[in-house]
Amino acid sequence: MLYFLRKTGLFVLTLWAAVTLNFLIPRLQPGDPAEAIVQKLAGQAQQVDPEQIRAIRLMLGVPDTSLWNQYWDYLNALVHGNFGLSYGYFPYSVTHMIAEALPYTLTLVGVTQIIAFVAGTGLGAWAAWRRNTKIDSFISLGSTFLSTLPFFWIALMLIYVLANTLHWFPEGGAYSGEIVPAFSSGFVADLAYHAVLPALALLITGSIGWILGMRNNMVQSLGSDYTRLAVAKGLKERRVAWTYAARIALLPNFTGFAISLGGVFGGTLIVEQIFSYPGMGKLMYDAIGNRDFPLLQAIFLITTVAVLLANFLADVLVGVLDPRVRRQSS
Amino acid sequence: MPAANSIDEPILTVKDLNISFVSKYRDDRQVIRNVGFEIRPGEFVGLLGESGSGKSTLGNAILNLLTPTARVTSGELLYRGRNLFTIPAEDLRILRWSEISTVFQSSMASLNPVMTVRAQMEDVFAAHRGASGAKREMTVEKSLDLVSIDHKYLDFYPHQLSGGMKQRVALAMSVLLSPDLIVFDEPTTGLDVVVQKSILSRLKTLQESMKFAVLFISHDLGTVMEMADRVMIMYAGEVVENSPAADALSGVAHPYTIGLLGSYADPRDAEINIRYIPGRPPSLDSVPVGCAFADRCGLATQECREPKIPTAEIDSPAGHRSIKCVLFGSETSDPLPAPTIFDEVGQQIDVHHAALGAGEVVCRVEDLNKTYSTRKGLKHTENHAVIGVGFELRKGSVTALVGQSGSGKTTIGRILTGVEKPSSGTVTVAGVDVGSLKRRTLRNYRSKVQLIFQDPFQALNPASSVGYAISRPLVNHRKLRGSEVREEVDRILGQVGLTPPSEYRDRLPHELSGGQRQRVVIARALAAQPEIIVADEPISMLDVSIRAEILQVLNELTRSNGIAMLYITHDLLSARLIADEILVLHEGKIVETGSTNQVLTQTRHDYTKLLLSSIPNPWQSRRNVPSIPAASSTSARA
Repeated sequence: MLYFLRKTGLFVLTLWAAVTLNFLIPRLQPGDPAEAIVQKLAGQAQQVDPEQIRAIRLMLGVPDTSLWNQYWDYLNALVHGNFGLSYGYFPYSVTHMIAEALPYTLTLVGVTQIIAFVAGTGLGAWAAWRRNTKIDSFISLGSTFLSTLPFFWIALMLIYVLANTLHWFPEGGAYSGEIVPAFSSGFVADLAYHAVLPALALLITGSIGWILGMRNNMVQSLGSDYTRLAVAKGLKERRVAWTYAARIALLPNFTGFAISLGGVFGGTLIVEQIFSYPGMGKLMYDAIGNRDFPLLQAIFLITTVAVLLANFLADVLVGVLDPRVRRQSS
Repeated sequence: MPAANSIDEPILTVKDLNISFVSKYRDDRQVIRNVGFEIRPGEFVGLLGESGSGKSTLGNAILNLLTPTARVTSGELLYRGRNLFTIPAEDLRILRWSEISTVFQSSMASLNPVMTVRAQMEDVFAAHRGASGAKREMTVEKSLDLVSIDHKYLDFYPHQLSGGMKQRVALAMSVLLSPDLIVFDEPTTGLDVVVQKSILSRLKTLQESMKFAVLFISHDLGTVMEMADRVMIMYAGEVVENSPAADALSGVAHPYTIGLLGSYADPRDAEINIRYIPGRPPSLDSVPVGCAFADRCGLATQECREPKIPTAEIDSPAGHRSIKCVLFGSETSDPLPAPTIFDEVGQQIDVHHAALGAGEVVCRVEDLNKTYSTRKGLKHTENHAVIGVGFELRKGSVTALVGQSGSGKTTIGRILTGVEKPSSGTVTVAGVDVGSLKRRTLRNYRSKVQLIFQDPFQALNPASSVGYAISRPLVNHRKLRGSEVREEVDRILGQVGLTPPSEYRDRLPHELSGGQRQRVVIARALAAQPEIIVADEPISMLDVSIRAEILQVLNELTRSNGIAMLYITHDLLSARLIADEILVLHEGKIVETGSTNQVLTQTRHDYTKLLLSSIPNPWQSRRNVPSIPAASSTSARA
C-alpha cells in the first residue's frame, strides 16, 4: 500500500513541476508573437508599424502584469480548462484547435501502439519459445532488417506501392471531402479507410522494438532455474510458456509500453507530414512556426501530463504485476 | 510384480551414456563419457565431482532438462524399463514430478519470483490432476509441515523468504506427489553450515519415512560422504568410482577418491593432515587417452595411458564396487591393492604458523560498532551489525574471523579496508584512526590494506589482462614506471606460482581457471605491498582440490612478506589450517577468541560448538556401521 501512496505523491509533485515549467519556459524565449502576426499580415519585406503591433497586443491580451500574477491566472485558467485564444488561428480558442486535432491522433497512434505492442510481444514470445528454429530466425532477422530501414522510407514505399501503383488506399488525408464529418457509419468507414496506410507504417516500425525486446527477455527467462523447474514439475507447455517464462519477460516491456502510450498525445510528426494527416504533430509544428505560444503551451502541457500519467499508471501496474517491486521501495 | 522382486529391481538404469555439447563454431565436447549406473528404490546415491566434471549435465540428463546444445550421442536412460529419451512427450510430462522430482541449487532463481509459494505448489496438482491418482493425498499444507514451515508462508513470495526457507519450500514441493526418485543438484551450496545441517537432516528423515530414492549431486565431499549410502565419483565426464560410502572411505579406493578425501579433515581433530592433488582436471576439449586422471596421479604407470582402462567389479560386505583404475585387479589377480600404496597420493599441504602474540601489532580495533538504520514508513529500525568488537592484527600472522552469514564478519572487513565508516570505536593502523581518514590520506591508507575477494570470477575486470590488473596498484600506489612495472609484475606472478610469467602476463581472466584467477587476485593484493590483507572467503568458490593449494599460497605469502591477514570465513577447516588465532563472531559480537587449536579443540562457547557440530563428518557418523573399512578390504580379498 505504501508503495502506491508514495508513487501517487511523486506523481503529484512532478505534475506541479511540469505545469510550472510549462508556464516559465515560453516566457523566457525570445521573439514577439504580435510582431510575428503583423509581419505575417504585412508580408516579409514590409516595414511594420509599431502602432499595429500595439493594437495586436491589445487584441490578444498580452499580459503586462507581474509574473507572479500571471502564474496565478495561469493556474486558475488551467483548472477551468481554459488555455486562451490561439495566436495563429485567431479567433479560435486553443481548446478548440486541440479538440480538432487530438481525436485523429489518439485513434490512429493510440490504436496502432496497442496493436503493435500486443502483436510485437506475442511474436517475440513465440520466437523465444521456438528459439533457434526457422520461425525464430525469420522473426528476429526480419525485424532486425526492418529496423534498419528509415521510417519515412517505409512510409513512402507503402504510398508508392499501395496507393500510387495499386490504388488500393488514398495517398493521404484523414477523410475524403465528399462526406460531411459527423458520427455516421459512412464517415467512420471513410476515416478507417484513410487510416490504413499510416497505421500500417506505424505498426511495422512500432512493433519491432517489442519483438526484439520480448524475445531477448524471454530467452533469458526460459533459461532460468524457475522455468527449468516448471518443466521438471511436468507442467503443461502452455503453462510453462505463459505463466513462467512470458509473465516475467513481459515486465520490462510493459513499463516501456505504458510510457510510449503517454507519448501518443504529442502525435507523430513524420507520419502526419507524410500522410498529411491533421493530428497533434502537425498542429504543434505549425504552432512553432507561428509563434503560437498559447497553443504550444497547451500541447506541451497535454503531452507532459499524459507522459506523467502513463508513467504513474505503469508504476502502479508493475507494482501489481511484480511483487518484488512493491517490497523494494517500501 | 511381487514386492520382494521390486526391491531388487533398479528404478533407474543408465547404460553407457555419452553426451556431447555441440556447437557450430568449435569441435564437439564430450562431457559425459560412457557412464553407466543403477539406482535402486529407497537408495541414497551421492554424485560427487568438481566443477566441470559433468555431474550437473548428468543430473539434467536424468531429468531430461538438457539444454538444446547438449546431445545424447549414445546410451539409454531407463526409468522402470522405459527409455526417458524416447518416450512420447506427454508420457514424459506425466512421469515428471509424480515419479522423478528435483530440488535445484539453493539460489534465488529456482522459485518463480512473481508467484506465491502456494500458487507454485498447486501448479503441480493442476498439471497432474487425474494422472497420478491415489498418490495425491498430500496437501500443500501437509508438505510444509514435513519441513517445519509455518502455513502463513504459503502466501508469501519467494523474495520474502530467507535462503534456507526457500530451500525447505523446494524440498516440500519435491515430495508433493510422493515421487520415487528425487534428484538434488547442489541443494545446500550457498547456505551456511548451520542451515545446511538442518535441511540435510530434514531430508534424511523424509527419505527414511517416504522411502524415495535420492540422487544427491554435490561438490561438497563431507556432505555427500555423510549422507549417501553409495557414492559415485565423477572425473572429466566419467564415473571413476561407484562404491558404498563406507568402502569409499576405507582408504582403498580410486586414487582420485583418495585425493579428494585427503583434502578433507575434521577441524576438531588434534592433528590434521591435509593432502591435495596438484594440477587441474583436463580440458574436455582434449581428454587424454587412457585414464583422464593419470596426469595428476602419483601412482600412474604406463598401463594408465593405454586406450582401454578396465573397470574392476568388486564385491564387498557393504555392497558392490565399480572402480575404473588399473590398480584394481582383474578377475585373475587380487582385486584390492594394499592400502599403504595410497599414502603417496596427493601432496602434503605445507603451512606454517606463528606463535600467538608474536610479531608487532599493525592494526588495533577497539570497541567497534556499526549500526545500519532503515526507515520503513514511519518506523525506524536499527540493525546492529557489529557490537563492541575489539582485536589486534599482528605482522606475519593470520587471524581468522569465523561466523555464519549475517554475523557481521564482512562488515568488519569493509570497515577495516576503509570502505565503510564505523558508527563508533576505532580502527588504528600505524597510529592513525581509519575512521577519520579523508580522500588523500584514505587513498594512502588503501595501499596499506588490500582485499582479496570471494568470487575470483567477478573480482577481475574481464577486459584487461592479468599483467594490467597487477600493474595498477604498482602505478597508483607505488608510483613505479616503465620497465620497473614489468619486472615487478613478473616477480609477483612468480610469487603466487603463475610461472613462467610470460605465459600469464598477457592473458585475459576468462582464459584462466578459477584457481589461477584467485592467484591473480592475490597477486594484485600483494602488488601494493600492503601491511594488512583482508581475505573475505577467498577459497569458498573454489573446487576442493584447489582450495588447499590457494591456502598454501596465502599462508606462505603472509609469513614471508610479514603481512598481517584477517581471514574471514565460515569454513572452520580452512581456518584451522591457515590461522594462528580465531575470533568467533555471532550476531555482531565476538563470543570466543583464542589460539586456533584452543578454540577448535577445547571449545567453550555454545555457538562455536554449534558451528563445529554442523560440519559433516563422514568418518564420525559411520563409526557405528558394521563394515569398518579395514574389514571390508580384507574380506573382499578373501
